[in-house]
Formats: sequence, structure tokens, C-alpha cells
Amino acid sequence: MRKPWQPQQPRDWWLHNPAYRRYMLREATALPLMLYTLLLLAGIFQFSRGEVAFAAWLSWMQTPAALLLQGIALAAALLHAVTWVALVPKILVIDSDRLRIDPRQVLRAHQLGALAGNLGLVVATLWLLWPAGGA
Amino acid sequence: MRRSHEPISWSLFGAGGMLLAFIGPGLIVSTLLLAWLVQDPQALHATLSSGLQHPLARLAALAVIALPLYHTAHRLYHGLHDLHITGPTWLLGGFFYGGATALSALCALWLFSL
Amino acid sequence: MGTIELVATRYRPEQDVQPWEQRYTVPCSEDMSLLDALNYIKDELDPSLSHRWSCRMAICGSCGVMVNGEPKLSCKTFLRDYREAGVVQVRALDNLPVERDLVADISGVVEHIEAVKPWLIRHSTAPVDTAHTQTPEQMARYHAFSQCINCALCYAACPQFGRNPAFLGPAALTLAQRYNLDSRDEGSSERMPWLNAEEGVWSCTFVGYCSEVCPKDVDPASAINRGKVASDINYGVNLFRLLRGKSDA
Repeated sequence: MRKPWQPQQPRDWWLHNPAYRRYMLREATALPLMLYTLLLLAGIFQFSRGEVAFAAWLSWMQTPAALLLQGIALAAALLHAVTWVALVPKILVIDSDRLRIDPRQVLRAHQLGALAGNLGLVVATLWLLWPAGGA
Repeated sequence: MRRSHEPISWSLFGAGGMLLAFIGPGLIVSTLLLAWLVQDPQALHATLSSGLQHPLARLAALAVIALPLYHTAHRLYHGLHDLHITGPTWLLGGFFYGGATALSALCALWLFSL
Repeated sequence: MGTIELVATRYRPEQDVQPWEQRYTVPCSEDMSLLDALNYIKDELDPSLSHRWSCRMAICGSCGVMVNGEPKLSCKTFLRDYREAGVVQVRALDNLPVERDLVADISGVVEHIEAVKPWLIRHSTAPVDTAHTQTPEQMARYHAFSQCINCALCYAACPQFGRNPAFLGPAALTLAQRYNLDSRDEGSSERMPWLNAEEGVWSCTFVGYCSEVCPKDVDPASAINRGKVASDINYGVNLFRLLRGKSDA
């Protein structure tokens, strides 16, 4: 007589294995990134309402709560960027009779692209601040 | 086997994830720097306004909001499933994907009425 | 030669209501595999302990068990690597029904694998005069995916399969990709409905642990996520067909 034991996945399955904890941390980056995106959206709304509202948003972004959220979001964004780029060559595989690109090249291209994109944006912001801020 | 409509949300998730990897950390550092170093918010408003005159710039700004919204909504939607937090699909899907769509529409409205 | 503690999770369907743990002390030498230890228990200590094995050389795929929480082939796992941990916890593969002791029932996995038609499909059944030739590059495209030995470690590693056993899972979806990527195959249209389904590639969230535990370096996570790209394109093409008034494929 067969009477197999049917295991049930426990609700806290992801706590019991380091690989699952890393996965959940990667997925959890979405929460601070969503909140940060909502901050940005609020910034666009305030921007559309005019100079005074925009200035208020800028100074609100300097409050401790907003700075804390931005700090967590920055850490999340870095973790997201590193884990995302690492997975790209496993998903984006260009390998046909006509065109084949080495997965290491795909990885390298995305690493360089992410580096250039992020650093370029920071440099552009500093450049924008110079004349506008009158510092 | 019924065809899943996941390709729609997965494509948006992928685009948002790629965008966040390429400019996410830089964007957060940039807004930190902007709020911290700006001397004359009015001048900054003027500079950004003139930059946003071009429709392509407005489209880019919309993408920077909308795609991360879809990306994060997708991850959180699936994260709830992982955490055994269940509910009707129409409710959870409507909240996350519907919310991302509604906020993206609002963002487009604000950007294109500048 | 020292000894090591081995804790096996037992389940005897005739008398047990739920699994329980039994502790054994087994010899531990440099060259002893976990399979050797299980066979030692069976031969010398407790003939009632059940476990599956056959080839002893990581090719039959029979001896998969959870070792200190990780899915492993017991023949490819060595006691010497657990000296520091001091104890080896062994139980049947996670996410699968336990038939008895360390024996997991993988018949559901086998059904999932069969569903995706993991064989070469040709439209013409007429015998060909010449062989279906294939360049080394064309073979390299699917070769890693063809190394699967159906051991089901990836299913024990997959929390999405644990969450929803209807999910076709890593090995089945990898084999679907293996044949879809084979230049001699013409059956991808028969496999795409399985990939396109909720229970197909779309239940995967790229946890990636399946690829970490695979004893043959098959990388199922990559295969499934490449399947997502294929399914994504298939969805777009089908949408275009529908917009042009053609039937749903």
C-alpha cells in the first residue's frame, strides 16, 4: 500500500537557505526603488506646479526621512544593478547561424554600459549644477 | 495549455530593470546632489523647464518614472506570491500593474501639460 | 579513519504518520561518499533504511537527496567535506512526495518532462538518404542542455515548483529548449504552447538555485529564461497575427 508523505512548502521557506535569502534580498530591492520612484514622481508633480513648489520639494528631499529612504534606495539600486547585469548573459543569448556573440562580450558590454550610464548621469548633474546653482 | 499574458508585464519589467541598472544608482546620487548643492532652485527650475521643452526629453522623463514603476510592481507582485500572501488575481494584479499604469498616466499628464 | 554522525529523516508509510529523524554513526574516510555511508548503514547497521542508487558515478541520476539542506547526488558527495560541520543531515529531495525514508517520488517530474516532447520531431517521416548533418557550432548551441540526467535536484531546489507543483519546472523546460535549439528539430511549434503557459516558463522568477545545484552544469535557469525571451517573441508574433484577423496560434 502506498501512502506517500506530501510535504508542504513552509511560508518561511526562503529563510532556510542562503541562496534563497540572496534571491529574496534581490527581489526586495524593488520596495525602496518603488518608493524612490514615487518621490521622483512627486518631484515631477511639484515641478509642474511651479518654482515655489519645486523648491519646497528640493528642500523636503533633504529631510532626514527622505535622506534615509534615498540612502536605502541607493544601496538597493547598486545591488539591483550588479545582480541584473550579472544575469543578462544568461538571458540575452545571441547565437544563431548568422550572428554569434560570446556571452562574455555581452556581459562586458552591459557592465561598461551601466558604468557609463550611471557615472555619466552624475557628471551631467554636476555640470548642470555649476551654472544653474551659481556656486 | 492556456497562453499566459505574462509577456506584457515581463517585457515592461525587463525594460525597467535594464533602465534601473543603467541609470538607477546614478539617478539617486544625482537627485541627492541636486537637492544638496542647488543654490538657486528658481534657476534650476528654469534650466530643467527649457530642457523639457523637447517632447523627446518629456518622453525620457516619463520612461524614467513609468518603467521603474512597472519593474518594481512586477517584483513585488511576484514577491507576495513567494511570501504565500495570496488574494484574488484581479485585486493584486489590479493594485500593482493598475497602480503603475495609473501613476504613469498621471506622470504623462503632468509632463505634457508643462 | 574517524567516524561522523549521520542523521537520516525516516518515513515508513506502514507505521509512521510523519517523518522523524534517526541518528547513525558511520565511518568517515577520505574517499567515502555519502552513498557509501548510506550503503554502510543499510548493510551493517539498519537494513530497514531505504534509499535509491544505481551507478555510483553521477550518471544514472537515482541517488538525489537533501544533504544539510542542499540537493545533492549522494554518490558525488563526500563525507570529508562535512567533517567540519560534524554532522550530515540527509532527507529525501524537497518539494516531492516522499515514498519512504530517503526515496522521493519523481514520477510527477517525469510526467512534466514527457509533456514537452523531449525528442527530435520531423515533419517528414520518410527516411532520408543523407544524415541530418550539424556543424559543431549548431551542436554547441544545445549541448550543455542535453547533459541532463533527470535526477530532479533542480526540482528540489526550485521554490516555485515547491509553491506550485503544476509548474513544469527546470528540467522539463530545459529539455524543451534543448530540442527547440537543435538545428535538426522541427517541433518547436508543438512545444511553444507548453512554454507559453503560466505553468511553463512564466512561473519561473529566476531564483537561479537550480543551476547552482545541477550536478551536470546544465544551467536550467538560463535555459528557462531564454525560453522566456522565445515565448515573449512568440506572444508578439501571435498578437500581430490576431490583429491581422488570423486565428490564435
